[in-house]
Amino acid sequence: MNAKNASSPVYYRAARIPWGVIGSYLVMIFFALLYIGPLFMLVNTSLKTMPSFMKDATSLATELRFENFVEAWNKANFPKYLLNSVIYTFAATTIYIITAIFVAFPIARGYIKYSGAVLTLFVIALFLPPALIPQFQLILNLGLYNNPIGYILLFIVNPIGIVILVNYIKTIPQELDEAAALDGCGYFRFVWSIVIPLIRPAIATVIVMHAIGIWNEVIAPTIYLTNKDYYPITRGLIVFQGVYGSNWPTLAAAVLLLTLPMLILFLFLQRYIVSGLTAGAVKG
Amino acid sequence: MSYHFGRGRSKWTPYILLLPGLLFYFLIALGPSIATAFYSFTDATGIKGAPVHWIGFDNYREFLFMGRASIDNLEALKRTLVFSVAVTFIQFGLGLFVALIVNQNLKGSNIFRTIYFMPVILGVVIQGLMWSLFLYPLGGPAAKLLSWLGLRSEFLGGPPEQAFAWVIFIQIWANMGITMMIFLAGLQTIPAELYEAARIDGANPLQLFANVTWPLLTPSVNTNLLLNVIGSLQAWQLFLVLVGYRNGTQVLGYLIYATGFGQTSGSVTSSFRQGYAAAASIILFLLVLVIGMTVQYYLQRRETRILG
Amino acid sequence: MSKKMFSLLSLLVLLATLLAACGSPAAPTASSGDTAPAQPAEKVTLRVLVHQNPPMVAFMEEFNKKFQEKHSNIVVDMSVVNANDLSTVSQTRLSANDIDVLDIFGFSNAAQPYMKQVDPPNWQQLIEAGLLMDLTGQDFLKYYDESALQDAGSYNGKVYAVNLGRVSYSGIYYNKDLFTANNVKVPTTWSELVAACETFKAANIPCMTAGGKDGWPIFVGAYGLLGSIYPDQAALVEGLWTGKIKWNDEKSLEMWKKMQVYARDMMEEGASGIAGDAAPGRFASGAVAMFPGGTWYAAAIEAANPGFEWGYIPFPGSDNADDNKYLFGKYDQGWAIAANTPNKEAALLYLAEFSDPANYQAFVDAVGFIPTQPTAKLNTKIGTEVAPYLANFRVGYEQYWVAPKGAGQFANPWASYFKPFGTDDDPQVLADKVQADLQAGLDAVNK
Repeated sequence: MNAKNASSPVYYRAARIPWGVIGSYLVMIFFALLYIGPLFMLVNTSLKTMPSFMKDATSLATELRFENFVEAWNKANFPKYLLNSVIYTFAATTIYIITAIFVAFPIARGYIKYSGAVLTLFVIALFLPPALIPQFQLILNLGLYNNPIGYILLFIVNPIGIVILVNYIKTIPQELDEAAALDGCGYFRFVWSIVIPLIRPAIATVIVMHAIGIWNEVIAPTIYLTNKDYYPITRGLIVFQGVYGSNWPTLAAAVLLLTLPMLILFLFLQRYIVSGLTAGAVKG
Repeated sequence: MSYHFGRGRSKWTPYILLLPGLLFYFLIALGPSIATAFYSFTDATGIKGAPVHWIGFDNYREFLFMGRASIDNLEALKRTLVFSVAVTFIQFGLGLFVALIVNQNLKGSNIFRTIYFMPVILGVVIQGLMWSLFLYPLGGPAAKLLSWLGLRSEFLGGPPEQAFAWVIFIQIWANMGITMMIFLAGLQTIPAELYEAARIDGANPLQLFANVTWPLLTPSVNTNLLLNVIGSLQAWQLFLVLVGYRNGTQVLGYLIYATGFGQTSGSVTSSFRQGYAAAASIILFLLVLVIGMTVQYYLQRRETRILG
Repeated sequence: MSKKMFSLLSLLVLLATLLAACGSPAAPTASSGDTAPAQPAEKVTLRVLVHQNPPMVAFMEEFNKKFQEKHSNIVVDMSVVNANDLSTVSQTRLSANDIDVLDIFGFSNAAQPYMKQVDPPNWQQLIEAGLLMDLTGQDFLKYYDESALQDAGSYNGKVYAVNLGRVSYSGIYYNKDLFTANNVKVPTTWSELVAACETFKAANIPCMTAGGKDGWPIFVGAYGLLGSIYPDQAALVEGLWTGKIKWNDEKSLEMWKKMQVYARDMMEEGASGIAGDAAPGRFASGAVAMFPGGTWYAAAIEAANPGFEWGYIPFPGSDNADDNKYLFGKYDQGWAIAANTPNKEAALLYLAEFSDPANYQAFVDAVGFIPTQPTAKLNTKIGTEVAPYLANFRVGYEQYWVAPKGAGQFANPWASYFKPFGTDDDPQVLADKVQADLQAGLDAVNK
């Protein structure tokens, strides 16, 4: 085991027959099949012709019809959809997390008056259902309808994140603040250079949670983004399904066209996500 | 708390830096939610230029007490609770179980971990489409598997309870990865020495879990529980993709959207009723508030009791 | 993560937002003032919204191309949305004044005097909010059938939409080859239909298919059954409201029994897995004998398998052949114009161009509607199939019915309540349940 993962206990001694290890692998493989199965079916279907699919949906695709992908690519602008999703998620999450840190920190420390009340305000918001129509009126009146900026605006708040950040910041001792101030560190610099690295796990959690929310948004694009060029993948896929819903091979190809780059993106990002989530392994 | 970073005018710095976040919050979340509360007492349609009248508690009366429809609404409410409870507990349990197994860092664990997190990345629409395909009743993989057992099912198109159960399953499948990740992070914070010490004392794996792992996992447990409960009470996009607005499967979130924005079935679209939908929203909010705060309170107490 | 990383991130955010902002389309330029002649001189982008219907969308793309060639200063920007989203997107885009010409279904489900406490239908809400343009007096109206304008596009004496055609949803497509091969006569009565299905099933051919996945194709397919028992559907709706007709009286019970046979015995296994758009393809593949569906599927069937021999008959729900000569349907797609559109001339020009009998004929040929222009001919195959029944076209139940508030979700004559699409398998029990759900609403509003 490496030093980074100081506490990864193997619960079962690998002495005689390593039942524990075998059992663990069986469990992990079982779940992996459950997750890969649908993906494999998707790949298989995307390589079939429609008649072949109608005849036997689960037979192995021997015809390897790559034209499905070409068709899907031509019928809708998937790269644009992907780019849009990425831009919306990235922009909104970044704006959110930066403003959120500067909201959470003074609340956690009590540096502002009525910090308790403000926190309660956010806690109440945890339970609020989406206020679709008033938000619609707001965006409309701001003149940001059918506008990516208006769309991004919808996602720059998230009360759960504030609560998580506050709780985590409270675990950092106040003495750190005092020491930094004595050293002549200003408030902004303190938060930016010292606090943020210390609360990396919480930030990672909040970022992941928030980003997933935006990534998954299906209704808001229907209401706010009517221009095809602004569609995120959720909207693009649903519209595509509206046309090709019955044509599973083409639809499957379209879904894969989006899945593959996302998986690559994820594989690239997961190092940061995981290291962010587990960075707080050893705390003071 | 005393502020350490200067005196005089620099004392305003925290306030200034806090302002954007707070402002955004009022503008985009709190403001519209308060507006929703007001809408709930009107007959607003949501159409620009349409007349709006104050009707007091009529929307609430209609939603909760009017005829058979209100019983259907309460069924939807019940279903929302069932969905939330089932998803929360099963996802929690499975997430914890898988996290424990993956945490052993056996060779290849990283790959498995990535696989389980994959649906989270792909998003709701892709999850829904993948499973729609897998559950294709006319000879899809699940249908084939069942036929080997001599059974057949219409899956998502079948009886409402079945379709509902499938959505619960897929919701859990999709989000177990996040639960697992948060638990993994929490497991990382437990010092190995505690396990060693307990093992030396002769503890078996079950005792290790009950006395070392579980108590020290409390922050992750709390985060996961709270996220799951609140999230599942409000989640309904999977229903949109997998089932559509079918009688017997609706949950409150979907019902609110459908009443507010009109629901099309075949050749007919219902009218837009934003005021009514707002009332339903507030009812959902109260439900989530009560449950959420209870859960939160109980978890807080437990956390202070265990961790001091 | 260091300070540099965050500065880089902030820069990227700025970049992303700038990218997003610069990507916005140019706002549509206003047309020249109201006093200008019919042809606007400045460059105009005309925004059109239609719902997903592949043959119609294909036609519209052709039409738009020709329109743009003829009027070089107008660019047509057409958006296509799923049929389910049409009303939502119409409402939001009208509110945002982001649309000029929109596709709107024929006006239906108006509140009748015997209905209490009902909300106005969504088209009426749009009109009352002043969002739809009053088209009364426009030149192109003269091309259309007067009754179509009245029934499907008017409110309070003013015309707000031109309806482009009627469709029937109570018929059955049948596979001519399979019928001749199995020596089955085209059914004109219910018993003949039952017998036909049994013959097919015995020969291992599924009798019927429909797009069960979308839910409504199952029960809409059975509206012929409803129509055979209650041919005057406006009277049916009034009877239900006043209590003269109940869903569990003798006539209705007969209907429920037949609906059960339809859902349980006639529909193929696995129909619930077929999406609405996939059903015509399945039928056209020759795998099933019959396909209860609307006339709008004809174009899709022909596209899926040109040369496929099929016919269309009214759903024979009664044992008296004379009762089975009616076709029930609705007014389908129509055009309306946003009242606040800045491109008034262009929009009116678009509609005028579309309404030109030559263009309209091409449209009707493409989508298979029953025309609302008296000069149009029924050139399509579906047109010839329905021609004998045209005089007996009736607007269907769905277009009249408004549920009383408080009515339960079972207060409908839907065949899909029966297994395997729903949970019921006893017609009497279901009939009572349906009536109870309806009665709950009637009691609530009549208090």
